[in-house]
Amino acid sequence: MHNSWLIALRELKERIRSRSFLLMAFLGPFIILLLTYLLFSFGGNKVKHWNVLIVDHGGLFENKIMPGKDKAVSYSFYNGILELEEFTNREEFQKFDAFVEINEKIFKNKVGFVFYRNTPDPKMQTRVKFQIERRLEELLIEKNGKIPLKEYLKIKQPLVLTFADVYDPNNLAGNTRAWVGFFFGTLIFLFIALFGMTILRSVSSEKSNRIVEVLLATVSPKSLMLGKIIGIGIAAFIQFFIWSILIGFGLYLMRELVFIDLFAPENLNATLLSEGTSYTEQYFTNKTYNEFVDLIFNRIHYGTVLFFFILFFIFGYLFYGALFAAIGAVSGSENDGQQFVLPIIFLLLISLYSGYHFIHYPESTWAKMSHYIPFTSPIVVMVKLSMGYSEGETYSIYFSLILLILSAFVMLSIAARLYKNGILQFGHRIRMKLLLKWLKKT
Amino acid sequence: MKNKLEIEHVEKSFFGKKALDNVSFQVNGGEIFGILGPNGAGKTTLIRIINRIIEADKGGVKLNGNLLSDKDLKKIGYLPEERGLYKSMTVYDHLIFLGRLRGLSKLEAKQKTNKWLQHFSIESWKTKRIEELSKGMAQKVQFIGTVLHEPELLILDEPLSGFDPINVALIMEELKRFKEEGKIIILSTHNMRSVEDICDKAILIHQAKKIAEGSISELRTVNYNDVYEIIFKGNMIAFANSLWAGFELLDKTILEDNNKFRVTVKLLGNNNFHDLLKVLMESIEIESAKKYLPSMQDVFIELTQEKTEKNA
Repeated sequence: MHNSWLIALRELKERIRSRSFLLMAFLGPFIILLLTYLLFSFGGNKVKHWNVLIVDHGGLFENKIMPGKDKAVSYSFYNGILELEEFTNREEFQKFDAFVEINEKIFKNKVGFVFYRNTPDPKMQTRVKFQIERRLEELLIEKNGKIPLKEYLKIKQPLVLTFADVYDPNNLAGNTRAWVGFFFGTLIFLFIALFGMTILRSVSSEKSNRIVEVLLATVSPKSLMLGKIIGIGIAAFIQFFIWSILIGFGLYLMRELVFIDLFAPENLNATLLSEGTSYTEQYFTNKTYNEFVDLIFNRIHYGTVLFFFILFFIFGYLFYGALFAAIGAVSGSENDGQQFVLPIIFLLLISLYSGYHFIHYPESTWAKMSHYIPFTSPIVVMVKLSMGYSEGETYSIYFSLILLILSAFVMLSIAARLYKNGILQFGHRIRMKLLLKWLKKT
Repeated sequence: MKNKLEIEHVEKSFFGKKALDNVSFQVNGGEIFGILGPNGAGKTTLIRIINRIIEADKGGVKLNGNLLSDKDLKKIGYLPEERGLYKSMTVYDHLIFLGRLRGLSKLEAKQKTNKWLQHFSIESWKTKRIEELSKGMAQKVQFIGTVLHEPELLILDEPLSGFDPINVALIMEELKRFKEEGKIIILSTHNMRSVEDICDKAILIHQAKKIAEGSISELRTVNYNDVYEIIFKGNMIAFANSLWAGFELLDKTILEDNNKFRVTVKLLGNNNFHDLLKVLMESIEIESAKKYLPSMQDVFIELTQEKTEKNA
């Protein structure tokens, strides 16, 4: 292990000293921040005003949503049961742009739906989400009595408020939260692709400049491969850490300088303020809250998402990293190895597509399968995690994680065997027959 | 205790093709031992087995009486034929990295690196990146990386290739010093001149098998025990006529205008050197006569060709 660590440290130093690492560390976050800005500024159909009907059969909202008025959204309440057909066909509902379905179980399952006639821009979506969520939180606090902020934060769970087209309610692509999950999943695959290629190049160049023979005289092939994967993996993590800080800082700047003061003080809940409820007071008096902040800072349950993001990142990286290392080791030349990268890139693209597919058709067979398949699970789980697991489903994320961990170890042991038998072979062309021979050879 | 490396009945095949067939030999500390053989004979396979890069199918390798294990790898210094260094690293960082891989602490690695850089008067290279070095300079760095951790067993594959004559002499000096320190030194080379100059013993491998082994002087005389070299003045025809059925003229070289010659003659039957001189002295003027000692190059070619012909 000592030697693996020395190899890892060398790899790490080499990576973080390279110009491409520094360039990516700054360019990546810049591009993401730019895209975020563009999405929030110009994404979706610009809607100036929305007329929203809150269908609250149980009267949970008590026909109230916020104390003041929002110029962009008007709310009306309907305390009966409303079917989609009625909303689309009946004359009296035509003046509403959307309706929000509040069912009695909302406090328990944290799931609600917003059915719209025309897709609103992200700003409008998050504005409505924010206002409905705050009202729900307010009711939750009232329901549970006055509870301190700390206690409230403990029981607070993200609310899954899904936007759907009233004419096509099964298409859930409007779920912005799912897209945040997709973003996280894409980030995993972006890092896997970039740093996986680094593993491949590093193995190929050690092989072609023959230093591998000196290393193998001291280090076992398995330790060498592991050291390489770990070292480059740490570099990937550092890169990710830099991205997080820069993106976090960039988002903070956007919050402070670009997307400010959407919620004017007159919209604050005066009753709650006067009662001095600690959490709500802090929450609603914070002038910087707005829909942008809400999506980025409040709506994503970062604790859970980041926890699983890190685990799926690590094991997804090990799974694919082993594959890249094995290809580097078995290739007869650097060009030969590049050809075999294509199938892996293809696999990565299938994974990305699976995440995209999951957003649109979360109930399809492929969506369910791709949640467990180790090639696709890192991205699909991130999407599902952002959309929210219902109570009975939480086992599936652990099942998927265990499958990925086991697959990563199986992949590492297969790769170690190919690495051991292929690393000192030069000048050949990779053939399936040869790979099978090396796999069988102990 | 004197260092000793024993190779015992080592066999290795790759996908059914024999790369080494029952090869055994022993190398003692304080000896420089040559592993010779044509390309593809199995030398590299043997060296990789000693280094535990690959495992033998049969047989084993013992160091100082014990089967070689992974623990012993730190006692080995290996310089492969195909040199490889990380091009983007500095000389100093690279040597420390290699030293640490071979079990030195960071401090030891730094101290020994500084010592060697001073010893070779190349301290100014310390901060140079490997890619900035010439081939010979990189070879020197590689050599230091091989010996930095003061190994008991040195395995050097073509250690002199790429060096200019001054550096060849420098490396030779170092090898002689290691020999005096009692280290086991294994040298694989095609440079037969260097084998004659510094090797004490050698083994010749051909087509996966050991075909000869012994001290360098033994190898040089093994096929030439009854061959003598004579330099004489006189007539070549007279010389040839004086030889009778008991001798065979192997080779002749004209040294001066058809008047001075160097010949090699093989004794046949029970004839000895004295008999040869007796028959020649009456017809020619002998300037010198001595036992013929072929170059290692000749021995190498003769032994490998002989073996190939037999197998054919």
